[in-house]
Amino acid sequence: MDTTARREHWLRAIAAAADPAALAAIDTRLFGPKGEVPEFVRSVTALPKDERPAFGKAANAVKVEVEQALAARREQFAAAALAQELAGSAFDPTEPGPRAARGTLHPITIVQNELVDLFTSMGFRWEDGPEVESEYFNFDALNIPGDHPARESQDTFWCKAQPGLGRNLLRTHTSPVQVRTMQRLTRQGFHAPLKVVVPGRCFRSETVDKTHEHTFYQMEGLVVDRDVSTANLIHTMKTCLRVILERDVQVRLRPGFFPFVEPGFELDVNCPFCSGRGCSVCKQSGWIEILPCGMVHPNVLRQGGIDPEAYTGFAFGMGLQRVVMLRYGIDDIRQFMGGDLRFLRQFPEVAR
Amino acid sequence: MKLSLRWLSRHVDLTGLEPKQILADLTMSTAEIEGLERFGDGLECLVVGHVRQCERHPDADKLSVCQVDLGAAGGVVQIVCGAANVAAGQRTVVIRPGDTLPAQGGKGALKIKASKIRGVESNGMICSEAELGLAEAAPGILVLPADAPIGARFVDVLHVQDWVFEIDNKSINHRPDLWGHYGFARELAAIYGRELKPPVVPVPFPVEGRSVAVEIRDRDACPRYCGLVIDGVVAGPSPHELRWQLAAVGQRAINLPVDLTNYVMLDLGQPMHAFDARHVGTGPIRVRRARDGESITTLDGHKRKLTAQDLLICSGDKPEALAGIMGGEGTMVEAATTTLFLESANFHAATIRRTSMRLGLRTDASARFEKAQDPANAELAVHLFVDLLRRYCPSAKPLGPLVDPAGFRYEPKRIVLRRARLHQKLGLALEDPRVLGILESLEFGVTVTAAGFEVAVPSFRATKDIAIEDDLVEEVGRMFRYDNIPEVPLRGVIEPPVRNEELFLQRRLLEVACTDLGCSEVYNYSFVPDAVVDACGAAAHAYVLVENPTAPEQSRIRRHVLPSLLASAVPNLRQHAEVRLCERGKGYHPEMADEHQLPHEVHELAFVWTRRDGAHPFGELREAIAALLARLGYPAELQRVWHGKDQPWVHPHRAVAIDRDGSPVGFVAHLHPAIARTMALPATTAIACLDVRALLANGRKIARYQPVPTFPPLPVDVALLVDEAVSVAQVAEFLRTVGKKLVRDVQLFEVYRGERLPAGKKSLNFTVTLGADDRTLTDQDEGKYLGKVREQAASIGGELRG
Ligand SMILES: [Zn+2]
Repeated sequence: MDTTARREHWLRAIAAAADPAALAAIDTRLFGPKGEVPEFVRSVTALPKDERPAFGKAANAVKVEVEQALAARREQFAAAALAQELAGSAFDPTEPGPRAARGTLHPITIVQNELVDLFTSMGFRWEDGPEVESEYFNFDALNIPGDHPARESQDTFWCKAQPGLGRNLLRTHTSPVQVRTMQRLTRQGFHAPLKVVVPGRCFRSETVDKTHEHTFYQMEGLVVDRDVSTANLIHTMKTCLRVILERDVQVRLRPGFFPFVEPGFELDVNCPFCSGRGCSVCKQSGWIEILPCGMVHPNVLRQGGIDPEAYTGFAFGMGLQRVVMLRYGIDDIRQFMGGDLRFLRQFPEVAR
Repeated sequence: MKLSLRWLSRHVDLTGLEPKQILADLTMSTAEIEGLERFGDGLECLVVGHVRQCERHPDADKLSVCQVDLGAAGGVVQIVCGAANVAAGQRTVVIRPGDTLPAQGGKGALKIKASKIRGVESNGMICSEAELGLAEAAPGILVLPADAPIGARFVDVLHVQDWVFEIDNKSINHRPDLWGHYGFARELAAIYGRELKPPVVPVPFPVEGRSVAVEIRDRDACPRYCGLVIDGVVAGPSPHELRWQLAAVGQRAINLPVDLTNYVMLDLGQPMHAFDARHVGTGPIRVRRARDGESITTLDGHKRKLTAQDLLICSGDKPEALAGIMGGEGTMVEAATTTLFLESANFHAATIRRTSMRLGLRTDASARFEKAQDPANAELAVHLFVDLLRRYCPSAKPLGPLVDPAGFRYEPKRIVLRRARLHQKLGLALEDPRVLGILESLEFGVTVTAAGFEVAVPSFRATKDIAIEDDLVEEVGRMFRYDNIPEVPLRGVIEPPVRNEELFLQRRLLEVACTDLGCSEVYNYSFVPDAVVDACGAAAHAYVLVENPTAPEQSRIRRHVLPSLLASAVPNLRQHAEVRLCERGKGYHPEMADEHQLPHEVHELAFVWTRRDGAHPFGELREAIAALLARLGYPAELQRVWHGKDQPWVHPHRAVAIDRDGSPVGFVAHLHPAIARTMALPATTAIACLDVRALLANGRKIARYQPVPTFPPLPVDVALLVDEAVSVAQVAEFLRTVGKKLVRDVQLFEVYRGERLPAGKKSLNFTVTLGADDRTLTDQDEGKYLGKVREQAASIGGELRG
């Protein structure tokens, strides 16, 4: 066979290979030990000297062409195989794998952590206080003496007398930490500013129903510095509510009476459920009471060892359940203490 | 407390103001309004009818058949009426068929239909005050004045409809002046810049004549007592305008003198008592403390035992009333009363409050006195009472002088309000005229000085409310309206806040426990139910006890978190086959006290991992806790068997201590099987508890860098047969020691117990990772290592398997 005939023969064989195995067999036949192609190239030695250069050149060209044809055919098979692999198996995008851990923080914890993050970023320290508290810190130090009507309205759980223990109670608010913190920090003289938040559990003797709980969570805040004003309080509270409720809240500040502040305020936010038109959640007022606050009463500063002439301050006590309920749309306060995983697992987030 | 708009309008002109607007403005400047209701709502459909004819029903003695002229509102119609007092010639209130009487008290709305009553056609109904919701009960139909225009709307003829504001009493606890309409009218006058009319025009009393002497034995408890004898009283029902005015604010009408004492109280906030003068006799009226063991029967029929703290109003020595709270039985004015002894006094707030609290007897009077009423009102109230009484009962007249032995001379309290202090506390520089205007509108006397304002406090604000400069800041701020103060950010040095490490650690522990370990955080009450205490075998421990628990079986405050957490696992396990709970909480131990005489407090983080069946979760929880602590930088050793003293829920032999540098900070354990049974929990329940403060004590450990190995590691599987008594930690330590420096890591991957092993033995299967810093290890190294293990296994009573 001459060069042209061989070339035709080999290329046809390559083109005819049905699958990668057939192609591999052809590859072996052509280029393996004693392969037809190298044999053919070597057959140059049998030719007369003057024919050798021309034959050699032509034979090499055929060799290269056959090699390329082989490679191209291999590519074709690989591409077809890949195409088949990609198209091949059925795919269900909804088929789950093994379940990820399903732990959850309590929704009050989530919101409390966010508030702590917010206030610590504004330079507040995060502190804690006891839940079994003395009458002094819960009432007397806060300008609520023994016969003050405010004591009665707080529905206090009192502790039974026990040897070695004083007249104690379950704290009715987080405010006792105001004087506790001031006393602790003024022992070696006061260094302004004092900025602290104290979230925690409080108690008032109430019958539990959909909207009342005897165990509740507050977050106390206290700022004492030179020249702290009502205008500062308004700004700090607005900032806090905007961040935590994740909306541009409307707030209103109106008078509220608490013996440990003067003046005292109630801070309301516009009702998210009815956009202020009035609904059952906001008792038709369009506003939700969320934050009692005020300018620290001079008597409270004095109890804390701080001169009310030199320093002023503001304090607030945010009801955490209320904030959590607003944020997640929870309508039954009993869920918080109910311990039911079907409730708790609805809030898989952590503080952002 | 309820406020009537019509009533307020008598003191200040409120024309042009919507009730909703008034509600909003009072809320923003004065007190919280809880609600706004229309009194007499739905009565618009009623018309005035003239009874032309009234005949007995042919078939019923008690019914009358009336021909009633409704004029333009329906002509003459026939109505069957059951009232005894219906008569021809009366002007009455008629509801026509198709109209609806609004719902009243317990009764629903009533739609009127034309019907036949005992065979006689009836086209409507002639109404009584009770049916209109204007009285609790009525003896017959309401008869209107003879000049009431026939066919006119009832609500246009008589002033009956009103707007009623419901005030949140808590928001006026500190404001004695707001316990009557006049005080709110004063606020509205200040808010709207309108004129406030004087509360009463003084009435002249006779200089001589009949009076009853008054002796005040305790001037602290009773700073003022005014008494007046009034004759010619007709104690019949009050006219409808007075009764409806009282009904609008929820006060039941009784008879004219009593209704007027209530009216005055609801107007000025000054409680009064009208005695039948026969009862008081010639007196003298004596105000004295009760004697221990003395008693009085109050007009509600209860006999009350008294103490020396209580204050009595006596006739001579005979108790007639519990001062400021309630009159004695039988002293009240009745229909037959013609002569009154009128008491208008002022009592010490705390005295009244203590008695009222002790006896559990709260009245409208005690609620007002305990807020510290203004003594000036005691006299004003008498003038108002007499003025009104004479209007409704012209025959009534005071018989003698007003007896007022203590009198009241008020020297106004003066407070300096510094301009700088005012501006500083509000954060706003208010101009002087504005401040002056506000204070004067609230009836403060003001002198502007170089430093600010010298303010004279009126007596009605001086009893307890306005005491210091800051109280005046509030007055200015609330009337200016806090909403008008522009917000200003806090300013100051930027410094990171001091960190309370315990709080942050506790928070991170929880976050990791919930996100990494799959725990769900639960909150339980601090009260631990007796049933749970008993089930946990902890009834003998000391607890902080609550005096007034919500339920008797919930008086204990928990010492530890675990019992309540175990209890909350029970219902969850009904819903889920496996439950992982954690809770952070405080426990209280009353046997130890702190420097404030408070019980010792522990801060715990507790875990309960339980599954209905399958493998015991103890090992998983142990690993999880170790990983949790390492994650936070507080790596701990869990090696030592722990024997909990105070915690009976811990398995006595299957508990491991969590140690940091040798001191325990908690434990991981099997739940005690006996407790598991009483709590109805499966035996496959693991528990753990961390004492967060103890954990913190030895500080955080920051990880140390180790060079990453250059040569590949050589993992070797080693299975050792040992006695059950030999711990995993012992064997791991042995495997480490045997290989000396070559051992990089020892990990247990399986504990095998089974029939193929001798009794009392277990096979511990480890992967030991060998490695060297200077070369790649070979099979020879592995062989050498295994050889040493085989040779020395006897030192731990073990045997190399395979
Ligand atoms: Zn709403």
